[in-house]
Amino acid sequence: MKCTFRPLSILPLTFLQLMQSADAWALQPHGGGEGLYVHQMAHFFFMVTLTYLYLHTRRTQDLVSRGWRYLRIFCVLFFFWNLIAIVGHETAQHLSHDDFIDAGTWSEQLALPLTFLKLVYYISKMDHLISVPALLALFFSLRSFYLEAREEEA
Amino acid sequence: MNGLSLAPTVIVDLAGSGVVIFLSFTSLLYANLLVRLQPKNFIWGFLFYFCFAMAAFSISRGIGHILRIFLVLRGEEDIWQQVSPWSGGFNTVFMISVSSAIIYYHKGLEAYKAVRSEAEKLARANRKLAESADELQKVNTYLEDMVEERTRELSKSEKKFRHFFENSKDMVYFCDINRNITDINQSGLNMLGVDYPAEQINLLSYFKNDSEVNRYIFELRENGFVSDFEMEIKGRDGSVRHILLSANAIFDQNGNMTGCEGIAKDMTRLRTMTEQLIRQEKMASVGQMAAGVAHEINTPLGVILGYTQLMMDDFDKNSEVYANLQIIERQSKACRKIVADLLKFSRQTDSARAEVDLNELIEEVLTVSEHNLNINHIQVVRRFAPILPRIIGDAERLRQVIINLFNNSHQAMADGGEIHITTRMDSSSGEIVASVRDTGTEIAEEIKPKIFDPFFTTKEVGQGTGLGLSVTYGIIRDHGGNISVESPVQDPQTGQYTQGTAFYIRFPAAVGQKFINEEK
Repeated sequence: MKCTFRPLSILPLTFLQLMQSADAWALQPHGGGEGLYVHQMAHFFFMVTLTYLYLHTRRTQDLVSRGWRYLRIFCVLFFFWNLIAIVGHETAQHLSHDDFIDAGTWSEQLALPLTFLKLVYYISKMDHLISVPALLALFFSLRSFYLEAREEEA
Repeated sequence: MNGLSLAPTVIVDLAGSGVVIFLSFTSLLYANLLVRLQPKNFIWGFLFYFCFAMAAFSISRGIGHILRIFLVLRGEEDIWQQVSPWSGGFNTVFMISVSSAIIYYHKGLEAYKAVRSEAEKLARANRKLAESADELQKVNTYLEDMVEERTRELSKSEKKFRHFFENSKDMVYFCDINRNITDINQSGLNMLGVDYPAEQINLLSYFKNDSEVNRYIFELRENGFVSDFEMEIKGRDGSVRHILLSANAIFDQNGNMTGCEGIAKDMTRLRTMTEQLIRQEKMASVGQMAAGVAHEINTPLGVILGYTQLMMDDFDKNSEVYANLQIIERQSKACRKIVADLLKFSRQTDSARAEVDLNELIEEVLTVSEHNLNINHIQVVRRFAPILPRIIGDAERLRQVIINLFNNSHQAMADGGEIHITTRMDSSSGEIVASVRDTGTEIAEEIKPKIFDPFFTTKEVGQGTGLGLSVTYGIIRDHGGNISVESPVQDPQTGQYTQGTAFYIRFPAAVGQKFINEEK
C-alpha cells in the first residue's frame, strides 16, 4: 500500500481551517473572555499531545535514532513552554494597569513591590528562552533525520 | 528606579520571535527535503505537516509579538487592539493544528507500522523468493549445462553409431515383435532387393527356407540370440544370397521380448569363390586321375587295336570272326576317342597357339552346324561385337568348345528354340566374353556344380559319355579362361528370369592386339 505524502495537499486544508476560524469568529456571540479560555485550552491540548508524542516515541523501539532524541527534547521543552505560557496568560489576567509604569514605552516597568505574581509574569515574558532551545532541538531533529535518510539512500 | 524594567523581556521577545521563526522554517525546509527524499515514508510526512503547523504557529505568534511591540511602542495601541484578536486566534488555531498533527501521527503511525511490517514481511518473502529463484536459477543453469553436455555427448554418440549404421556394408536391422523391420540400413535394403522401405517389411518373408525361419525364431526365443547363423535369403528381385546372421532379442523391463536387432553379412561372393576353388581343386584332381588312367589305358588299347587290325587281315571279310574283329576294332576306337577326350580334359594334348578371331571362329562353326540346327527348328541369333580383339589359342580346340556348347544347347531344345550367341569385350577386366544362350530346359540347381565333372551326364546310358562339358572346361582353362553357367537366365536390363541356360566363356585378349573393325 502506498503512503505518499504530498506537502501541497495540506494547503487547501489549512485554508479551509482558516475560513472555518473566520466563520466561527463572525458567528461568535460570546464575550472576549472566551478567547482566552480557548487559547489556554489549546495550550493544554498542545501539552497533552506533546506528552503523548514524547511517551510514544520513547516507548517505540524503532524510534531510537538521534533525531528522535532531539524530538523528545523538543517535546519536553515545548511542554514547559506551554506551561509557562499558560501561567503567563493567567498571571497577566491578575495584573492591573497600576502594576505597570510607563506602559506602552521602551521604559515600561513592573511597579514595585515585586510580588510573586509580578515575578512569575516577568519570568513568563522570557518564554523565548525556552522556546528557542525547543525549536533548536526540532531543527537538529529534522536535520539528523535528513542526514540519516540521505545516508540510507546513498 | 521605581520598578523592574521590562526592556529585557521585550528584547528577548523580539529576538526570540525572529529566531523561532527562522528555526521553524529551517526545520520545515529539512522536513520538505525528507519528504522529497523518501516520499513513501509516513514519518516524514507527519514531520512535514508538524513542522508546517509549527512554522505557521511560529510566524503567527512571532509576527504578532513583533507587531504588538512596535504598535504599542509607537502609541498605536488602538490598532493593536484590533489586530490582537486575530493574532491570538491564529495562534490558537495553529497550536491546535500542531496538536492535531500529533494526534494524526498516532493513528497514522500505527497504520504505517502495520503497512511497513507487512511490507517488510513481503520484502523478506521477496528476498526469500529471490534467493530461492536464484538457487533455482543456479540449479536450472547447472541442469541446462548438464543436459546440454549430455545432449552433445548423445548427439556425438548417435552420430557415430548412425554413421556406422548407415555406412556398414553388412545389413543392420531392427525388428518389432512381429519381425517387421522398424529400421534398416541401405546395405540391408540392397540385400533384400528393396529400394525404399516405404512399406512394411517382414524379415522372415525373405528367408528362403522354412526350416531356417523356424530355427531363427526358436533360437531367439530360447537363447535370446542367434549367432553365426548361415542361411539363405531370397531378395525381392529373386536373387539368392548366402548370409551369416547374428541377432539379439530385445526385452522390456518385464522380460518380455519386444523385438530383435541383428547384423547379417553377405557371404555369397565368399561362398561362390570357395565353391569355385573347391571345384577347381576337384577338377584338377579329376584331371590328374583322368590323365593317369588315359595313359595307362592308351597303351594296351593301342596294342588291342593293332592286333585286332592284324588279325582282320588273316580272316575272310565274310567270315563271322572278321565281323567280330570289326566290332572289337570299332569299340577300341570308341575307347581311344574317350581316352583322347580325357587327355584333352586333362590338358595332356599338344596344341598349336596362334591369334584367333573369336567372331570368325564361331562363324566357321556355324557354317557347319547351323543347317543341322535349323532342321531341328532351332534358330541362331548372332550378336557379335563389331570391334573385338583377338585371343591367343588353339583354333581347332576352340572350335570344339563352341561345337560342344552348341551340342549342349541342341540337346536341351528337343522341340526347337533359339540359340543366342553374343561376343563382347569386357573393358573392365580386359577379357573377351562369349555367351551361348538357349531357350531349352533349365539345369537344376543341385546339379549345376557337377555339370563340368567328367562322365557326369543326365542322358540315358549310351546316349553320351558325359565328357563334352568336361572337355570344354579343360580347353578353356588351358587357354587361361573360365566358363560359368546361368540357368534360368536373368535379363540384365529388366531383371526378369527367362527359361533357358547360358554359358559364359571368358578369354584374355591378346596383348597389343589390333581391333577388328569389320561389321559382322
